[in-house]
Amino acid sequence: MDNVNETDTSDLALEITDLTVAYDNKPVLWDIDLNVPKGILLAIAGPNGAGKTTLIKAVQGLVSSAAGRVLVYGETYEKNRKLIGYVPQRGSVDWDFPTSVIDVVKMGSYGSLGWIKRPGTKEHNHARDCLEKVGMLEYEKRQISELSGGQQQRVFLARALIQDASVYLMDEPFQGVDATTEKAIISILKELRSRGKTVIAVHHDLQTIKEYFDWVTLLNVRLIDSGPVDRVFTTENLNKTYGGKINFIRDITPGQAVGS
Amino acid sequence: MEVLYELLFDYTLRTVAIGSALLGIVSGVLGSYVVLRRQSLLGDAMSHAALPGIAIAFLLSGSKNSVFLLIGAGLSGWFVTLLIFTVVKNSKIKFDSALAMGLSVFFGLGLVLLTIIQKMPDASQAGLDKFLFGQAAALTTEDIKIMGVMGGISIFLVFLFWKEFKISTFDPEFAASIGLKVKFLDIFITSLVVIAIVLGLQTVGVVLMSSMIVAPAVAARQWTDRLGLMMALSGFFGALAGVIGSLISSQISRMPTGPAIVVTISFIVLLSILFSPKHGIVVDLLKKRKNRDSMRLDAILEELFNLGEKHNDPCYPHSIKLLKIMYSNYTNFEKNLVKLKEKGLVAQIEGDKWALTDNGVIEVKKRGFE
Repeated sequence: MDNVNETDTSDLALEITDLTVAYDNKPVLWDIDLNVPKGILLAIAGPNGAGKTTLIKAVQGLVSSAAGRVLVYGETYEKNRKLIGYVPQRGSVDWDFPTSVIDVVKMGSYGSLGWIKRPGTKEHNHARDCLEKVGMLEYEKRQISELSGGQQQRVFLARALIQDASVYLMDEPFQGVDATTEKAIISILKELRSRGKTVIAVHHDLQTIKEYFDWVTLLNVRLIDSGPVDRVFTTENLNKTYGGKINFIRDITPGQAVGS
Repeated sequence: MEVLYELLFDYTLRTVAIGSALLGIVSGVLGSYVVLRRQSLLGDAMSHAALPGIAIAFLLSGSKNSVFLLIGAGLSGWFVTLLIFTVVKNSKIKFDSALAMGLSVFFGLGLVLLTIIQKMPDASQAGLDKFLFGQAAALTTEDIKIMGVMGGISIFLVFLFWKEFKISTFDPEFAASIGLKVKFLDIFITSLVVIAIVLGLQTVGVVLMSSMIVAPAVAARQWTDRLGLMMALSGFFGALAGVIGSLISSQISRMPTGPAIVVTISFIVLLSILFSPKHGIVVDLLKKRKNRDSMRLDAILEELFNLGEKHNDPCYPHSIKLLKIMYSNYTNFEKNLVKLKEKGLVAQIEGDKWALTDNGVIEVKKRGFE
């Protein structure tokens, strides 16, 4: 992989070396080397079972890795945990849990509060600001079970925004949301980028990668390629990643970036 | 009235009531987390598994001091929980099978040990079987003090670690991502649940204790969508059932307390499921019916409006005979006409003709028909 040479290491938001994760001795991620520069929107794409979610989790130590090293802004994850904001898949929680929208957003402040201390007025106002950014302020007092899928996703995004992180890891932020929400989310991601933040998102929709993201990482247990969309998002690479099963982008000449 | 008098002045009854209320509060509060974490069956396994612990504690200490017995119960309940998780993690046995096995194996072992103890010549061993179905009347002031202190500490810890427990229950992955030790918190909450179960064993017994953990929380969840309120309500329901159940058992000879409390709490659950304003079945049915009725009224208004349009007059009067034939498939058509008349939206003209009033026309337009 030549992406290592594309950037100077002091400009890296994330530096992954030799990362290997296995479940029951079956490798899910195999020897991943990946450098992510600061201030970009990066899509992680790959077929089902490629290890996209696992990669996002392994970076944060949520699944234990068999080998490898992950640095966030040049330090270990444990040291720089507060620089990371996380948006899990919205299907990973029970939306019948007895709590309100604003409460869920405030949960994003728990990390900086530390043990025992409760969120106060400052966190409350911050949470309202974040809800306003995602266009959900009028729902602040709603019970979370009353939300639609797109609204749930926005609430999760607001919870990550309140973390005020430098690197955002998002697991399928566009999954099952309506077009309006998709537009709203992407404009927030672009706003984050304009403030120098880095966004790494698992993304399924190959059609929109070129439009939404600067960089793409193609993954299928092994890292296929990673880098600027123009260079990496080629038919040849996609065939390598998906095993030639994606004939819906056949109007692209070999070697040329998809959508360009 | 006599019961109330006894409650205030009868030493045994007062002790029983305080003990049952304490147990209800603690199991109600901790039970909220059990229900929200979907671990209700784990509570059942824990309480059944307490029995061999009680028996072994008695065999080792030779005393009926409840402190020893309850420590034994707690350790045993805790051990079976760890065992179940270890088995699930390291084998192909699924969680429900591991639970069922843990429960029955330990409960069986407990019954065997209890039988052995009862055959022993020493007279002091009698009475351990009260742990099966509970016997609140056997509670002593000493027991109440222990329950008060342990229960107080447990509830204090729930308040202290409020946000940690909350987020590790709602979204354990996110909790781990912000650096919380989720596994530690799991064990922490489980331990508090074990304490809640142990505190209830003398009163409710190992067989039915899990319902004291689950039922108050299930009832409380019906009434509120807020975690804090749910816990408070759950504690209140638990206490209420505890007191009422113990009173029932004190009034009926040879009635064990456990079943009396459990029947009471089940009744509270039933009432909650039927009548709670937010999720209650009855309220839901009433809402649906009201909705249906108002939709029927709307439909009639709309039809009268459309009929009138044909005469270029939305308030054109139509003969009831005609309307009855046209809308013979409408439920309660004439009754609903009268209802609309009472609302001033429809008027009866020349005895057998009906027409929209001006207000009726406004109403139709407001709802965006036409």
